[in-house]
Amino acid sequence: MRPDWGYRAILVALPLLHFTLHVGLGLERGAPDLLAVGLLLLARELRTGTAAGVGFMLGLLEDAFSLLAFGANALACTLLGIVGSRSRELFLGESVFFLVSYLFLGTWLRGALHWLLSGDEVRSGAAVSLLINGPVDAAYATAVGVALLFVTGAWRTDPRN
Amino acid sequence: MPSFEQERFENGGRRELWLSLLFLLLAGVLIALPSRAQEQVATALRSTVLSPFLLMQESLVQTRIRAEDVADLQERLDAAAATLAAQSTLREENERLRDLLQLRERAGPDFRSASVLRSGIRGSESMLLLDVGGRDGVAVNDPVVTAQGLVGLIRESGSSRSVAMDWTHPDFSVSVMTLDGGAFGMVEPRSGAFREEDRLILTGVPYYTTLDPGTAVVTSGRGSVYPRGILVGTIQELASTEAGWMRSYWLQPAVRPAGVNQVLVLTGDPASGSAEDETGLEGLWFDPEPEPDTAGVGPDGGAR
Repeated sequence: MRPDWGYRAILVALPLLHFTLHVGLGLERGAPDLLAVGLLLLARELRTGTAAGVGFMLGLLEDAFSLLAFGANALACTLLGIVGSRSRELFLGESVFFLVSYLFLGTWLRGALHWLLSGDEVRSGAAVSLLINGPVDAAYATAVGVALLFVTGAWRTDPRN
Repeated sequence: MPSFEQERFENGGRRELWLSLLFLLLAGVLIALPSRAQEQVATALRSTVLSPFLLMQESLVQTRIRAEDVADLQERLDAAAATLAAQSTLREENERLRDLLQLRERAGPDFRSASVLRSGIRGSESMLLLDVGGRDGVAVNDPVVTAQGLVGLIRESGSSRSVAMDWTHPDFSVSVMTLDGGAFGMVEPRSGAFREEDRLILTGVPYYTTLDPGTAVVTSGRGSVYPRGILVGTIQELASTEAGWMRSYWLQPAVRPAGVNQVLVLTGDPASGSAEDETGLEGLWFDPEPEPDTAGVGPDGGAR
């Protein structure tokens, strides 16, 4: 069974919503990282190379606002796209538990990759970034992403599973 | 989650692998690009694909400004009018004395008011997007200030928007002095464990010059970027000493960039000031050897 169009539309809308909240409305850290959520979900629908390309483009758009670590978002999102796409080989999850775990770990990984790829001058301490801010941001993005999928009806568990 | 089709690596796997490597390589190239080229790519993206989002924030900021409490504005206007009225006699006296001493009037710096647009995106720390640009007279290296003090400077100027870096940027540095002109030095940022803990350090203070906590530190005008007399911060505590040589002090910044919504961009050219300058900016931008009793900030907030 191929994914339905409503689900795909949501996946495309998530990055748009991300830029609307962060840039359009200027909510800064008050807005969740829906770009990572959208990319993680999209990546599981795409081939590895295409997922890498989508990640690259989305990351590049974020880098347009980055004076200090230009390219870090592009590389982090490219890697995330590849990992997300390849995760199909490892996990065939269709459950809510899988969705939540996948989004949480993926969003945290995105933050961790960006932290690693940013220069020493930019990044704050590892403990703060990876163990405090990272999990909080990931939990927030996951909660909002999952809620959006359920509210819009885009998420439907396959009855065969 | 809807189901998917397994990727057939036996058919297209190699192509996907190469495609992935290509994008990874491209991302790596982006990181390695010279900063000038990076800025050009970023500007191109901001002025095309991301432009609608920036326009949305611009219109929101403008709406918020227009919706500000009218009573509050009226109160400020009344207070300013009262201050002006009280100073009018002093001004006349000042003008008379200047005439007697044959001193020319000093003009205030040209400035453009700007709203700060924020992206809040990972990596956008130390960066301010402003809704003024080249068509407003804003150019690269123009200082960005608020009523409280120095914020940073313009890093990149487009036609209608510009990018400024605030003082938390690693490249930021400014030549400063104390208000009495007794000590000169350089101020640079030092990052803390959290972004909110970023602070400034004053280096190069002569060893035998001690500065008390609370001493105001202002731009010295040296370096031809920042005009003289803009408040940078106040002395917090001694940071380190190099025995018999110099001292460093931690500064409490005058402005916290995270809380800035409206700024002024000083658009005059600080290097063009001269005795014959028709703009009358001489001495405001360039006065590298201040007299101890005349250095500092005037009652109008500008350099005296």
